[in-house]
This record gives sequence, C-alpha cells and structure tokens, in this order.
Amino acid sequence: MSFARAVKAFGSVRAVDGVDLEIARGETVALLGRNGAGKSTTISLLLGLNEPDEGRVELFGAPPEEAVRAGRVGAMLQDARAVPRVTVRELVSFVAGRYPEPLPVADALELAGVAHLANRRVDRLSGGQTQRVRFAVALAGNPALIVLDEPTAALDVEARHAFWESMRAYARRGHTVLFSTHYLEEADAHADRIVVIDRGRIVADGTGEQLRRSAGGNLVSIDLEGRTADGLELLPGVVSVEVRGRRARLRTDDSDATVVALARLDAIRGLEVASASLDDAFLALTGSRTATPDRETV
Amino acid sequence: MLDYLRLEVRRTLRDTGFVIGGVAMPVMMYLLFTNLGDQEGSWKTASMVGMAAYGALGSALNTGGGVAEDRTVGWLRQLRVTPMTSREVVLGRALTGSVTVLPAIVAVLAAGGLVNGVRLDAWQWAAIAVLLWLGSVPFTLLGLGNGYRLTAQTTGVVNMVCNLGLAVVGGLWFPLSLFPDWLRSLSAYTPGNRFASLGTAVADGHAPTLGTITVLTAWLLLFGSYAVLSYRRSGRTV
Repeated sequence: MSFARAVKAFGSVRAVDGVDLEIARGETVALLGRNGAGKSTTISLLLGLNEPDEGRVELFGAPPEEAVRAGRVGAMLQDARAVPRVTVRELVSFVAGRYPEPLPVADALELAGVAHLANRRVDRLSGGQTQRVRFAVALAGNPALIVLDEPTAALDVEARHAFWESMRAYARRGHTVLFSTHYLEEADAHADRIVVIDRGRIVADGTGEQLRRSAGGNLVSIDLEGRTADGLELLPGVVSVEVRGRRARLRTDDSDATVVALARLDAIRGLEVASASLDDAFLALTGSRTATPDRETV
Repeated sequence: MLDYLRLEVRRTLRDTGFVIGGVAMPVMMYLLFTNLGDQEGSWKTASMVGMAAYGALGSALNTGGGVAEDRTVGWLRQLRVTPMTSREVVLGRALTGSVTVLPAIVAVLAAGGLVNGVRLDAWQWAAIAVLLWLGSVPFTLLGLGNGYRLTAQTTGVVNMVCNLGLAVVGGLWFPLSLFPDWLRSLSAYTPGNRFASLGTAVADGHAPTLGTITVLTAWLLLFGSYAVLSYRRSGRTV
C-alpha cells in the first residue's frame, strides 16, 4: 500500500497533511500518535471510507475501493459497537461469506480466541470479548491486509495480552497488519516498524530502536549553576535542550561527543548520562516542534 | 445478498420491540376494537384490513429504525470495508423491510379469519395480503429516509409519530365515518388511508380505484426521493 502526499482536511483542519508512506507485504506496522494526531483519518483514507483532497492512496496498486471489493482487506474500525441480535458464529460466517477465499469459520473463531463464544449473542458479551469478535470479523475473509484502528483501546491488561497473541498469530501467516495505537509499548512490542504521526504529518518511521536514536538516543543532564543554557544546543550531538529548574537536559545522539564538549566548557557538575526511553523519544518527536529531527526512512 | 437478507430478517425477528409493537399490538387492537360492544359485521372486515395495514405500516417504518441502529453501532461502516457494495447493502435492507411486513399482515388476517369469523373468497384473502405487502413499500422508504438521516433515538420517535399519525388520520384505527368532513377529505390524500383502501376495495369485491393508485404512487415517489436524499447525505458519515 502507498500514500503519496495525501491530504485530507475537515474544514480548516488538515487532519492528514501530506502523508507519504509505503508498506510492504508481510510487514506489521504500528501507526503511533496521540489522540487527534490523524491516525483514524489516515486509516479511513486507506480503506477508501474517505477520499483524499490531494495526493493519492493505493492498496495493492489500485484505488482502495477496488482492493476492498476484491476482498483483500479486512478492518476493525474504531468506536464500532456490538452488532445487536446476532450470534458470534452468524456474524463471522456472514462476513466470511462475502470474501472470495475466506478462512474456515472455525479457524477464524479459533484464531481470534472466540470459539467458545460461538453461540453467544454478540451484544451480550463483555468489552474484551466484543473486541475479539470484531477482530474475528476483520480476519474472517482471510484478507492479505488487516487494518486495526486502536484495537486495544478500553481493554484491560489481560484482554489486551490475549488480543496481541491473536494478532501475532495472524501476522505469522504472512499477512500484512497495520494497527494504530497511542500506546508506545504496544507499538514497540508488536510491530516490526513504527510510523509516528503528529498533526497529520509523519514525523518518524522506523523500528523502536531507530526511533530512540533518531530522537536523540541519550539524555545528558548537568547542573547549570547559574550559567545560562544558551549555546548548549550547538554542542556536538545535541538534538534539543530542556531546562528544568537548575538542571539542563540535553538530548543527544552522540553522548560521548556531547560530554567531551561539556567538559571543555567546564560544565560537568552533576553530570548524568542516561539512555532515552521510547517515551522520551515519542515526546521529543511529537512535543515541541524544535525537537523534531529529520525523518529517518527505512 | 440473500445471506444479508437472511441475517437482517433474523435480527429483526429477534427484536422484541418489533414482535410486540409490529405484530402482537395490531392483532390485540384488532380483536379489542372489534369485540367491544355491539358491532356490525362489516366493521370486522374493514378493521381487519385497517389493522393489517397499521401493522404493516409500523413494520415497514421499523426498517428505518434498524438502519439508524446499524449506523450508530458502526455496522454499516463495517460493511463498507467488506466486498459488499453499498447498492447491495441498501437493496438488501429494502428487501428486509418488505419481508418483515409480512408477519403483521398474516397475523391480523389470520385473527380475522380464525377468531372473528371474517369470510372472504380465497382470491380475496390472497389479493389483500399481496396488495398490502406491495403497498407497504412507500412506508419502508419513509422509514429508510428517517433511518439514514437521523440518530437511532430520533428515528424511533419520528417513526412512532409517523406511524400513529398516518394510522389515525388514515382511518386505520377508527372508521372514517366518525371523522368530521374536513378531516375525511384530507384523509383521502394521505398514504395510510389509500394503503388500507387497497385492501378494503378487494374485501368489497372490486379492484382498487385509479385514485388510490395515483395517490400511493405520488407518495412512493416522494418517500423514495426522501430516502435517496437521506442516503446520499449519510454517505460521508456511514
């Protein structure tokens, strides 16, 4: 699938603002961003539920509607609730029957972990169970690409764990999976590749490790002792500088060079070097604009 | 698409509100209205047709309630990411509506024949059922128009108002002879009245009048356009 300079605006809000993205077959990709970053709009463009105002979106080399019609796509949409007055098996069988080469219904139920609920009515299940039924609906047609929009929102820890187990089992069959989330740990733990989206733009794209590095792999902090932080951002390796009370925190992608330079300035009182967490990286990528590094494409 | 029809009919029949409001109520009201006090025999037949029409009207409108509900829970949106086309979805829904009006028609006619001893020729029974079945299409479209335009709750209320309004003004509950003159002449232009007169004409042994067909066709076109407009408007949000 590919996005070429895709733009989608709602009124004056550019929900998707020039997104370029390609996903290869078999990849498991996380679309990571805060609420309102443009994840759902990106997904609705990808599924052909919305059309881009500018640019182009393609799935399997064709417009999204065609790929959807050909049964190559399955999706779990955000905010969908249980379909009333239908059993799990009825629902999954019905959806499977729309696709040219569906999974056997028993397999789909098994894979999503809802085989034991097959004869229960969907609207009488718990939140976690409903979510897995919706996953079964997404994979019932055995589509080459499965798109999950915030699949674990509002799930408890246990349900979340079970859900990812199912997702990985499906991905292991060689299918392409794209999921959106605002949980970093999920993106890091379950995706081969993380695409960070913020204010409708892609601000980073790579593995969790690359993301940490691109956002300034390490955090060097010193006591300022009354001196100003001016000029520290010009030191070698420094990506951004943040002052908290008496301490300056320097995000750096070359902590050795940064420390040596600080030593030359005799500014090493209370020196600490720590590796940045993915959280730090995410905040750096999506927080203040000054901290946005160049995009690193894989 | 047959699968879709089957799924949606099954879902409708599992809806307690539909079974009570759309089927049981018209039957009970029919038996009540025709067996209280002294009634002339012809009222048992006329009211049978009226209540069958009332039940079909409610069931047809109920299709719209189903659509509104499906929109609210995201089921229609989910269907859009399956290989089904929106044309199949809309057509399947309309067909569902035309199937789910049958229980009300059959139940009230059965109550008339079996409980109230209404006697008609075999062709009359068949013609009444078929005409009421076909004649319910405008109301299905009205319901769909509401369902694609309004939220689930609003659709429920609007459908109920349409249902009661069209039924009472159309003379499905009480004979038109009880109405003041002005209301009686107004009633002749309403779809509910003409819908029932499809059946009463047959019960009286003749074909529906040209006026009836004309008025119903006009309403069919009006409600049909309303349904199409509502559907188009919902296209972005479904």
